[in-house]
Amino acid sequence: MAALQEKKSCSQRMEEFQHYCWNPDTGQMLGRTLSRWVWISLYYAAFYVVMTGVFALCIYTLMCTLDPYTPDYQDQLKSPGVTLRPDVYGEKGLDISYNVSDNRTWVGLVHTLHDFLAGYSPASQEDSINCTSEKYFFQESFQAPNHTKFSCKFMADMLQNCSGLTDPNFGFAEGKPCFIIKMNRIVNFLPSNSTAPGVDCTFLDQHKDARPLQVEYYPPNGTFSLHYFPYYGKKAQPHYHNPLVAAKLLNVPRNTEVLIVCKILADHVTFDNPHDPFEGKVEFKLNIQQ
Amino acid sequence: MKHIEQTDKGNGKEKYRGLKNCFEPKKNHRKEELKKELDLDDHKLSIKELEKKYGTNIITGLSSAQAAELLARNGPNALTPPKETPEIIKFFKQMVGGFSILLWIGAILCWIAYGIQYSMNTSSSLDNVYLGCVLALVIILTGIFAYYQEAKSTNIMATFNKMIPQQALVIRDSEKKTIPAEQLVVGDIVEIRGGDQIPADIRLLSVQGCKVDNSSLTGESEPQPRSSEFTHDSPLETKNIGFYSTTCLEGTATGMVINTGDRTIIGQIASLASGVGNEKTPIAIEIQHFVHIVAGVAVSIGILFFITAVSLKYQVLDSIIFLIGIIVANVPEGLLATVTVTLSLTAKRMAKKNCLVKNLEAVETLGSTSIICSDKTGTLTQNRMTVAHLWFDNQIFIADTSEDNSNQVFDQSSGTWASLSKIITLCNRAEFRPGQESVPIMKRVVAGDASETALLKFSEVILGDVMEIRKRNHKVAEIPFNSTNKFQLSIHKTDDPNDKRFLMVMKGAPERILEKCSTIMVNGQEQPLDKNTAEAFHTAYMELGGQGERVLGFCHLYLPADEFPETYTFDVDTMNFPTSNLCFVGLLSMIDPPRSTVPDAVTKCRSAGIKVIMVTGDHPITAKAIAKSVGIISANSETVEDIAKRLHIAVEQVNKRDAKAAVVTGMELKDMSPEQLDELLTNYPEIVFARTSPQQKLIIVEGCQMQNAVVAVTGDGVNDSPALKKADIGIAMGITGSDAAKNAADMILLDDNFASIVTGVEEGRLIFDNLKKTIAYTLTKNIAELCPFLIYITVGLPLPIGTITILFIDLGTDIIPSIALAYEKAESDIMNRKPRHKKKDRLVNEQLAMYSYLHIGLMQAVGAFVVYFTVYAQEGFKPSALINIRVEWENSNVNDLEDSYGQQWTWYQRKYLEWMGYTAFFVGIMVQQIADLIIRKTRRNSIFQQGLFRNKVIWVGIASQIIIALILSYGLGSVTALSFTMLRPQYWFVAVPFAILIWVYDEVRKLFIRLYPGSWWDKNMYY
Repeated sequence: MAALQEKKSCSQRMEEFQHYCWNPDTGQMLGRTLSRWVWISLYYAAFYVVMTGVFALCIYTLMCTLDPYTPDYQDQLKSPGVTLRPDVYGEKGLDISYNVSDNRTWVGLVHTLHDFLAGYSPASQEDSINCTSEKYFFQESFQAPNHTKFSCKFMADMLQNCSGLTDPNFGFAEGKPCFIIKMNRIVNFLPSNSTAPGVDCTFLDQHKDARPLQVEYYPPNGTFSLHYFPYYGKKAQPHYHNPLVAAKLLNVPRNTEVLIVCKILADHVTFDNPHDPFEGKVEFKLNIQQ
Repeated sequence: MKHIEQTDKGNGKEKYRGLKNCFEPKKNHRKEELKKELDLDDHKLSIKELEKKYGTNIITGLSSAQAAELLARNGPNALTPPKETPEIIKFFKQMVGGFSILLWIGAILCWIAYGIQYSMNTSSSLDNVYLGCVLALVIILTGIFAYYQEAKSTNIMATFNKMIPQQALVIRDSEKKTIPAEQLVVGDIVEIRGGDQIPADIRLLSVQGCKVDNSSLTGESEPQPRSSEFTHDSPLETKNIGFYSTTCLEGTATGMVINTGDRTIIGQIASLASGVGNEKTPIAIEIQHFVHIVAGVAVSIGILFFITAVSLKYQVLDSIIFLIGIIVANVPEGLLATVTVTLSLTAKRMAKKNCLVKNLEAVETLGSTSIICSDKTGTLTQNRMTVAHLWFDNQIFIADTSEDNSNQVFDQSSGTWASLSKIITLCNRAEFRPGQESVPIMKRVVAGDASETALLKFSEVILGDVMEIRKRNHKVAEIPFNSTNKFQLSIHKTDDPNDKRFLMVMKGAPERILEKCSTIMVNGQEQPLDKNTAEAFHTAYMELGGQGERVLGFCHLYLPADEFPETYTFDVDTMNFPTSNLCFVGLLSMIDPPRSTVPDAVTKCRSAGIKVIMVTGDHPITAKAIAKSVGIISANSETVEDIAKRLHIAVEQVNKRDAKAAVVTGMELKDMSPEQLDELLTNYPEIVFARTSPQQKLIIVEGCQMQNAVVAVTGDGVNDSPALKKADIGIAMGITGSDAAKNAADMILLDDNFASIVTGVEEGRLIFDNLKKTIAYTLTKNIAELCPFLIYITVGLPLPIGTITILFIDLGTDIIPSIALAYEKAESDIMNRKPRHKKKDRLVNEQLAMYSYLHIGLMQAVGAFVVYFTVYAQEGFKPSALINIRVEWENSNVNDLEDSYGQQWTWYQRKYLEWMGYTAFFVGIMVQQIADLIIRKTRRNSIFQQGLFRNKVIWVGIASQIIIALILSYGLGSVTALSFTMLRPQYWFVAVPFAILIWVYDEVRKLFIRLYPGSWWDKNMYY
């Protein structure tokens, strides 16, 4: 056992290591001769080429089985998420605060909205069609050019006072800001049975005696017209734009932080998932100072 | 007084020199000192000299004042327990050993990561804290498990303490006092009675029929008579010393205390036993080696990717999280616990085969044993005298010496046998204890000495009811055996009613018996004893004696009826009857025969490349004879002495290279230098050490270990405990072994049978092979767990598998299957190969690591990724969309992330999909681990050769994997903290083709290994 107990000195170890790196007696480098290294490398190279091939083949087969228009499953997308513009996030969720009298605090927010609505300019939607029907726009076949389906136009001007066209400041300057609410796209999703889904914004912690939140919705009634649904996917509707609803908050108290929630009211949209704060609703903090 | 003290001091210095050295830091030096024969010379001194030396008086004893002074100076008469490592330190050692340190780093990194997150954002998620806690919990649980296992291995000092006598009768101030034995001091006069334990080492001053049981010290099982005379140079052999902790069986004695506490012989052995370092077991070394490999891989990959991540402009926080993932993926958390369980399963299996394993790691050590130093008596032999040969009618007959003795086939038709059997039956004082009619003859308890017992049983087997025969041949006179006469004689009336003659029967040392004879019986006829027959007798005597057997001669005489009428009164003192001109009948020789299973076991050891060395205190001739009969010295090999005898030349002239065997006595060993011993051990494949002392056993063991051999040692006495401790594996005898030996040993042989060691070796080798399989199985999935992190960092996919999920594989689904591999049967005859080389045949070698990591592991990773991509693609994210999506994917502020179909996902929806991905990846690994488990059943043979269903536990393992996975997915799928989700049933089968591919690939590997042994393939692919 003595041999095992012996602590090797550093130089001994170095020597052993050197001997391992290059053994002049057998011509071995790192435990193998050059030709052995070539052989083993060739083997590994071949093995990995084959494995890469197998992997590629699997992925290729997988892609072949996929439907190009509809995903196979939508387990997570039972109910659409809802997002808000302008979107400024604080430590916990959306947190928007600005000072009415200091335009530097809100010019960024306004800029976000302008940027967002740039996608809804007439130029960007010239491939979409005008829809007037208040019913679901079902399309069985691909009648649009390039074997696609038609998308309905949603123009920024439909948001009227909150379109940024009439009021480039979106009401931020007078303390009655516009917020744009967008519902996430889900392929083949029908939000409700017959009525158009609508947006409803309220104070989250509404006291009984406090005044309820007064909101002006654009388009009027704050609904997403049914003709924007169902969505047929990126490949079928390459020009699709989400419909929007703008909410102009009229009576936000000054100098206090308020919690506001905007829910989508529709038969198939749920907003009570405890884990997901953005499912079917959007909550945000608002603090308008003066 | 002053003078006395001075001599005392001087003497003390001289005498305890060895002991003082004990406290010197140089351990080797200390061992050397202790290994020397004990130097004690008090037994040589006269009583006057003793009185002077110890300043005492044998009539009045010490004065109380003197005693108190000596007690203060020398300390109490008790063995000091060795300094123990505090339990808490042992516990913490378990917490930082092995992989624990890596996991601690992981856990601490988790908390650091949380700290950084917290400092940036006070509401950051607690995930990292939980993960850190889980890791810490894993470490603590495995630590507790390991600590519990270690705590089981017992403390050697415990029994030494138990042996301390409680009270002692001492003469002090001219009065007899009973004091606690702890207070005895050197120079005290103590009295001992039968039944007492001897309270210290004492020099006996006056003795009345005192016998002591020294078995716990020297291994001699027979009571040793004591006297006050100095009889031998060695303190262990001389009769005028009584040893601490031995028992006085009968008689009384008065003695002077010459050594107390740790300075007693037993104290020195105790300190020797605990002083001999516990060497690391081979398996511990292997596991350490394995831990180093895995830790090396983990740390180097971790650091490499940490640097890569930082240089890829990842935040330090993210890089730390990657590092944690890499560490956790690399460390097989459950493996060390699995190894422990595997070892204890084997230990249980060995216990069934009469090998009780105390130290779990010893299970494997036994398998790598390359030298067994075995005791003779009781281990190789049956530990009872048995008649082996008979000589009558000028012929040697062989008696059956097997355990049941049932088959005595020698020719019993001769008239000589009739006479001989009569002498054997009648000239014998041994008797069966009553009430044993139902017990087989060989197992009955007999009152009488060993040879008489042997003769009694021998005749009982052949002739039937011996007691009845003795009754019919009424005994009228008897002279029992004594050492001056060297014969035993009795006179009987015969059972023949027509024959009124008395029959005198005699047995004894053959040469003495022959002297008394003038005739010899041949074929039932008395013939004059001429030179030729006397020569025949001598040849037979020498032959039997040369086989190490104890030979007895038998003769008889029918006393003439006219001289000795029925009424004649025999007087054994005046010997009023003839004791010469008798008729010699025959010789009978006895031996403690080898156990019948031993020769087979020795042959097995031979073919397994294990050298068996016999170490015994017995006479060289006997030792050699037994060694020959069990095959330790094979039939055609010769010692130097044999060659010298055959060629009629001097021993010195013989070329030592010609001899294969060697019989070395303790005296010769004493004069050998370590180099000579080394030479002896290397040059002779067959060695017998005879007449060795306990200390020499230690030297022999060390000599063997110098040659890098893994040494197993058997032993039973206290004296063996240092050698048992020193050995790589100490084997104590369960039946005859003393407690101290059992304590020092790693293993206890419940049936004292050498053959059980061999079955143990077989189990030990099997466990090594199976551990290899277990480790290969466990390491494989590490790559499949590691790749996700590497891909995640470099390609930016959503994380394929979470850290917690990895822990569920390592500590959940994989545990039972890896234990199941311990139940795997051997692939081929593992007893036909050499013991593994301690330094070359590693548990985890390059081939094993390469094959597990780079072949099967990689295939698993590919398979699991296919499952992962399938899930994502079918839910909307095609593989192309996933590349470099990581930053947006993980940003909780992005709640409208678009997939390949234009659908938009909130953060939580993505998170849930990510968990589904974890589950899918987990299932992918699990399914392929089933294939991995099946291929690991064999390393060389095809699975179909081994049998797919022979090891049922494997199927239990597979079932457990599937059930645990099902529970995690469908049962706990709703518990978000575990990040498991329900999974569509078809995803469970996506990895199945890869599982089959793994199986096929491994079958091909094994096929080529079998087809082209020694080829490039064999060298690179066989692990």
